[in-house]
Amino acid sequence: MLTLLRDLRRLRRTIGLPAAGHAGSLALRHVDCGSCNGCEHELTLVSGPTVDMARYGLGIVASPRHADVLLVTGPVTTRMRAALVTAYEAMPEPRRVAALGDCALGDRVLGSSSEIAGRVEDLLPVDLRIPGCPPTPEAIAAALLGLIDGTAGL
Amino acid sequence: MSGVHPTGDAYRDAVAAALTDGWRFTSLHAKSDHGGPAVRTLLSSPTGHHRLETVDASPGSVPTIVDLAPAAGWDEREAHDLYGVGFDGHEPLRPLVDHDGAFARFATPVRGADPYEVAVGPIHAGVIESGHFRFHVVGDLILHVDARLFYKHRGLERAAEGLTFADGLPVVTRACAGCWVTNAVAYAHACEELLGLTPTPGLARVRTILLELERVWNTLNDIAAVCAGVGLAAGGSRFAALVDDARRLNLRLTGHRFLFSSVSVGGSGLTIDESTAKEARDSLDGIRADSSRAWRELLFNASFMDRMPDIGIVDADTARSLGVVGPAARASGVAEDVRSTSPRLAYEGFETAALHRPAGDVQARLAQRALELLPCLDILDRLLTEPVRPVEAVATLAETPIGVGRVEGPRGATSCIVERDGDVVARVRLRTGSYANWPAVAHAAATNLLPDFPLINKSFELCYACVDR
Repeated sequence: MLTLLRDLRRLRRTIGLPAAGHAGSLALRHVDCGSCNGCEHELTLVSGPTVDMARYGLGIVASPRHADVLLVTGPVTTRMRAALVTAYEAMPEPRRVAALGDCALGDRVLGSSSEIAGRVEDLLPVDLRIPGCPPTPEAIAAALLGLIDGTAGL
Repeated sequence: MSGVHPTGDAYRDAVAAALTDGWRFTSLHAKSDHGGPAVRTLLSSPTGHHRLETVDASPGSVPTIVDLAPAAGWDEREAHDLYGVGFDGHEPLRPLVDHDGAFARFATPVRGADPYEVAVGPIHAGVIESGHFRFHVVGDLILHVDARLFYKHRGLERAAEGLTFADGLPVVTRACAGCWVTNAVAYAHACEELLGLTPTPGLARVRTILLELERVWNTLNDIAAVCAGVGLAAGGSRFAALVDDARRLNLRLTGHRFLFSSVSVGGSGLTIDESTAKEARDSLDGIRADSSRAWRELLFNASFMDRMPDIGIVDADTARSLGVVGPAARASGVAEDVRSTSPRLAYEGFETAALHRPAGDVQARLAQRALELLPCLDILDRLLTEPVRPVEAVATLAETPIGVGRVEGPRGATSCIVERDGDVVARVRLRTGSYANWPAVAHAAATNLLPDFPLINKSFELCYACVDR
């Protein structure tokens, strides 16, 4: 166990993460609306030791009732539309919506049109757009930090 | 050896005879338009051969084979939902892909005073793909689980119809990022078979490199997932860092962390020069050393290892019957790996990795991952001793109306069947390792405790995306 912890400490020093230094925090709720799982795989690494989003005050919470931001991936399938809207309606105000990845932005979506409900912004007001197929863990963290700092492009 | 059967009885007899002769059920799909409605069953032999048994479906229904091959259960339900084919004798033929109608049509009824249901999803508490689980529980004991997936169904197979073979690849492979290379190579092999093309040794080599690069990060990810499943943050973080290392290597070699666009039909445009190949081998040596060290730490962590044995058991007979594939099947003692019968790939001398204790529980599935990581790194070390240059497949065989590709992915054997209409895709069916294994997750969970389900689920670490398509 000590070896594991020492390895993790060494890793931290090697990576040389930038200082935290952002005021405030954001509680995130992720909703997968039909992604290829690429955005989920990269979002998982945002919590990993190389980006370590917890030190910026970014954390994934279990319920939309605890969330500031709804982080939506995928092209929004017809089957996930109702669940997405229900999750949004369960969030307390003020709330923000982030569209994560090109599919969520409606860019280069593949599939049968009868199975796709439309872009996230056709269903909910989107505050933050994070492009990429999939966006890297660093890009996801940087975009979310922009939301904390109030510098995110709306 | 494939056959087209005019009657349902002849089809059923042919499948039954093949299964008796040692052939395995591999995939079943329906098609509607070109040449009339039909159902096709793909069977494969332990030596890697394929045969398709086709039956005319214009009467509206065909005999079920689910009693002969329980692994065909989901395939028949999907064919019914998407193509309207009935399967006589498959009772009840519950919906799988179809989400319309009452949930009671989908779920198993709960009877009696003590059992109750726990509904989970489609949105989960962590960063997890969407899907619904309905647990039937008494106290903490799971009696039964109904997994209702297909919330992520994007109709990718339909969307690929009418496209050229080259244009179909990005559509089919959008199914899944985690299994991108596996699905792409299975699709490319299917298209090349119907075009009469054979991969040259050079093409086989570059695809094998890509497949094993995909297996490296997925295997590390699977071990991280089990750590996360029991809340061992130190183990989860260490292996997550290794996943990141492996994806950075993918980026350096192919320009994409998930190796997207690195596979095409009929050839490969990938270039890896000598110094980059050397750096890649050094990086993989680093991953080998770091992962071996971290794995040893897990082995000596008693509170972690004590959580693993004797839960989520799938025994060998069940694994064969349900058609379980990949590390999960091998952890149950079904020592099968498509890599040992893949002449279109560079796996000469490959030997299937077998555990001393193939108990089919969570511990065996975890140990199987660790066992398979090192041979995978050995294959890459061997194949990356030379630079990689663009290569083309060569035309050596006659063209065919249907092509089949079958590839061992990180979650097991993945098959892709492509039917043509001239120079375009008429029907494509992708059946991934995750699709084969989901029924086993439900089986493994029964008679276990509800709080153990996340760990049992993580020990399979299946994708939803490449099931739902």
